[in-house]
Amino acid sequence: MSVRGYHPAPASPVEQRVAALEALLTERGLVPAGFIEEITRRYESEIGPMNGTKVVARAWVDPQYKQRLLADGTAAIAELGFGGPEGDHMVVVENTPGIHNVIVCTLCSCYPWPVLGLPPAWYKDPPYRARLVREPRTLLAEMGCPLPDDVEIRVWDSSAEVRYLVLPERPPGTEGMTEAELADLVTRDSMIGAARL
Amino acid sequence: MSAPLSLSDLDLPRRNGELAFDAPWQSTVFALAAAVIEHAFGGDREPFRQQLIAAQPGRPYWESWTAALEALAQTLPDRPMP
Repeated sequence: MSVRGYHPAPASPVEQRVAALEALLTERGLVPAGFIEEITRRYESEIGPMNGTKVVARAWVDPQYKQRLLADGTAAIAELGFGGPEGDHMVVVENTPGIHNVIVCTLCSCYPWPVLGLPPAWYKDPPYRARLVREPRTLLAEMGCPLPDDVEIRVWDSSAEVRYLVLPERPPGTEGMTEAELADLVTRDSMIGAARL
Repeated sequence: MSAPLSLSDLDLPRRNGELAFDAPWQSTVFALAAAVIEHAFGGDREPFRQQLIAAQPGRPYWESWTAALEALAQTLPDRPMP
């Protein structure tokens, strides 16, 4: 159950400001009853990187799905039941032995919510946002994702209009695995492009 | 896939990284922004995004959302939208 509204300690200034916003916007009729609880519940339990792992695993086992995914990410992701705010123009970029894709939002923190949930803290940090564009190979190596010099790195800058998702390479030795087992191999960071599998 | 969520599905976001929200006010401001985008701007995120870009330098992430939403609220008409 939600404990919103119950503050055993005095509210901090930012909590007071958010409470004032809630009161103002509710008075304007912009916040339907139960809306905050519903959004919170969905992002805490239903929406997250597990959605993206299912998209990736399906693309690995079904070549026709992969084709549709690369041609129209939004529609192919919707086939699995994922969509909504911040996911209405999804572009999926495929890693290959010679190309490594990685996503960033240099201006703010745009992120493909329906398939990855909310962004990790480092994705929102100015150093990641600045350095990924300037020196992607160095930054990725520092983040534990060293790439050989002959692998081209493509940096995709998200925007309000377009959200990117990286389709990682299927690891070798996984030929006998089921789609669900494959989905378990996929990590959030690999779908951002900050890791390889 | 319409199968009900399993326990492992629910565990995954945590296994994969940080929790989405650290405090209730953070999920509240997130949901309030979603409500304003949806109900005052017909789903157009750009006005909020511009405020977020302006609010970001030097502020922790969810505090920048709070500042952006405060600025955006100032631009709303006085009366409830029809």
